[in-house]
Amino acid sequence: MPLAMLRKGETACIKEIVGGRTARGKLNDLGFVNGKTVRIHSSSGGPLIVGLGDNRIAIGRGMAHKVIVDTEGCEN
Amino acid sequence: MALNKKERKNNEVKVALAGNPNSGKTTMFNEITGSRQHVGNWPGVTVEKKTGQASYHNYSLEVIDLPGTYSLGAYSEDEVVARDFLTAGDYDVVLNIINSSNLDRNLYFTVQLLEMGVDLIAVLNMADEAEKKGIKIDKNKLGQLLGTPVVETVASRGKGIDNLLEQTVQNRNLAEASLKIDYGSEVEDLISEVVEMLKQYDFSQQINQRWAAVKLIEHDPEAVKLLEREVGASKAKKIKSFIAERELKSEDDFDNIIIDKKYEFINKVIEESVKRPAADEEPENHSDKIDAVVTNKYLGIPIFMAVMWGIFKFTFTVGDPLIGYIETFFEAAGGWIGSLLLGAGVSPLISSFITDGIIGGVGSVLVFIPNIFLLFLAIGVLEDSGYMSRAAYVMDKVMSKLGLHGKSFIPMIVGFGCNVPGVMATRTLDSKRDRIISILINPLMSCSARLPVYVVFAGALFSNHASTVVFSLYALGIVMAVIMAGIFNKILFKGERSHFVMELPPYRFPTLKGVFIHMWEKVGAFLKKAGTIIFSVVVLIWVLANLPLGVEYASAESFIGQFGQLVAPIFAPLGFGSWQAAASLVFGILAKEVVVGTLGVVYAAGEGGLRAALTTNFSPLAAYSFLTMVLIYTPCIATLGAIKSETQSWKWPLITASYLFVLAWIVSFVIYQGGLLLGIGI
Repeated sequence: MPLAMLRKGETACIKEIVGGRTARGKLNDLGFVNGKTVRIHSSSGGPLIVGLGDNRIAIGRGMAHKVIVDTEGCEN
Repeated sequence: MALNKKERKNNEVKVALAGNPNSGKTTMFNEITGSRQHVGNWPGVTVEKKTGQASYHNYSLEVIDLPGTYSLGAYSEDEVVARDFLTAGDYDVVLNIINSSNLDRNLYFTVQLLEMGVDLIAVLNMADEAEKKGIKIDKNKLGQLLGTPVVETVASRGKGIDNLLEQTVQNRNLAEASLKIDYGSEVEDLISEVVEMLKQYDFSQQINQRWAAVKLIEHDPEAVKLLEREVGASKAKKIKSFIAERELKSEDDFDNIIIDKKYEFINKVIEESVKRPAADEEPENHSDKIDAVVTNKYLGIPIFMAVMWGIFKFTFTVGDPLIGYIETFFEAAGGWIGSLLLGAGVSPLISSFITDGIIGGVGSVLVFIPNIFLLFLAIGVLEDSGYMSRAAYVMDKVMSKLGLHGKSFIPMIVGFGCNVPGVMATRTLDSKRDRIISILINPLMSCSARLPVYVVFAGALFSNHASTVVFSLYALGIVMAVIMAGIFNKILFKGERSHFVMELPPYRFPTLKGVFIHMWEKVGAFLKKAGTIIFSVVVLIWVLANLPLGVEYASAESFIGQFGQLVAPIFAPLGFGSWQAAASLVFGILAKEVVVGTLGVVYAAGEGGLRAALTTNFSPLAAYSFLTMVLIYTPCIATLGAIKSETQSWKWPLITASYLFVLAWIVSFVIYQGGLLLGIGI
């Protein structure tokens, strides 16, 4: 499911980044990569605040729809 | 790489600082060169490259600080500056500044540079923060795996700098780096075939061919452009279609494979060279706790408002008594010097030049040093703390209604200091549309140059509500900016929504040094402005007030009086149709402080002070209308110049200058005529 659908406190594993070249490139640059664990720190209508390791990143809803995640979590 | 090396002597080294935003490049730059560049805790503080000098033993170093960038992809203007510099290769060594506590993402950029064949030293900066988090990096192992020297530093405390310089000098002739990541047989086969084709087509030997091939397979637009330049359009097309054909046959997108393999490589490097506590054991850090409050759905915006209010309250409450002292000083000095000159038999003309011109004009501007000082002190703390990106996040809700996103709010906050860096800060926005709209509304952010005008009027006419009046002007500016952004969004551009992703850096306690550097720089700039442009304009106005010869000083018959009378009718419906007000506004376009300087000269404010002159010449309503005009009307030349150079066209500065004048006129008109009707402040 898209990252945008997760609720606060949930963690998930990034499975795929979809969307155009620019959007994908920007997400990759900031560390949104397949196999990484992301955690939702804030989700209140506006942009999300997510945690990727120690990084905190504000991400707009539109962009958060391009990050496909699996709530089962990452394998390791 | 290492272009133009022959032009440099053997003991001259050209060094570039590159790395992710907020990894400490500018702190390092200041530390190495002894410069005082502005440092802040938000991504995008540095938007242009800056050059400094340093020496180490008998070597002289030319150091270049580049804007932060997450990759060579370059999605915004500031990143393009960095990318273009790095790919051009006019340097000996790159110091790749890495935030040690954030290796994964920082190494992504390092790996890209190494693949391109950049000779670099990996600088593990913020080593203390990594240590605090329990991260242990085996730098020898890391260096081995990356095939490049690794140095540890803590730039903010000057630790490891000497060693870094030693390494820089030693490695100035580093053999070309050649990191090869295995992209898997399918992509590797394609890479070698593309490299073959490049060789056939005589693609430049200067450029790492494997890197070029990988970039082409990734469909990097810049690489494609480079290819077309090098081998011509028809041969470039052959290569492109060759890659496209392969891609069609493959199950997965090649660029996805390449990115995955890069991160896989980085993960392997980290696994072998870094020990860190397991992710689960990590307690919620204090930044998260602060964020839970300041980015709260309901509290976020009120907290932001309170912070802004606090900044202004601080600027005024602390500044006011200080201004009083300086004012008294200039008044006393004016009177004293005046009588001294008179006593010494100096001609009244020269005496008037000194008392009316210099002291009345420049003095009335210099009075505001305390406010400028305090305002930038507060902004400095705000920038260094890390709150800037949170403010941008919080304001996203408002901005997105205007078709912009939260990141566009950062240039607006910068604009409160000065609109020139505000306009330049829009470089971090990746869509052209966002940039143009942000540039157009930036002058509505009330800059520090307008502050003296507000303070002198507020003190003269609204002494009981001075800070409320001034705050209302700042608020009016924001409201106007929001309205205009909404309008521009509707009429200027459609579609092309941009992507909002922005890093929220961890909060840091502002360092005294950082905040003071920022403040001194700004106060210095203000003093310089007072000594140059404001001084010259004030002298010009004093001359115009004395001509034609024999005219009464600063009378309606003087040149400045005649000129003011010519323009005044435009402003008459707004409540300030006097020639003095009109002249001050026209000259104010040169620099906004000049409004106060001009009024100081033409009201011959030497004795009794400018405030007294204003009280007799303005009603409170007219004064507020005048301040609204000063807030909104045509921005100063420096800002228009910045808009010209950032947009590369005369169209946008002209649009900005004219729309703001019309808007200012309308708003002042509504305020003045509305006030008259309601009988307020007449």
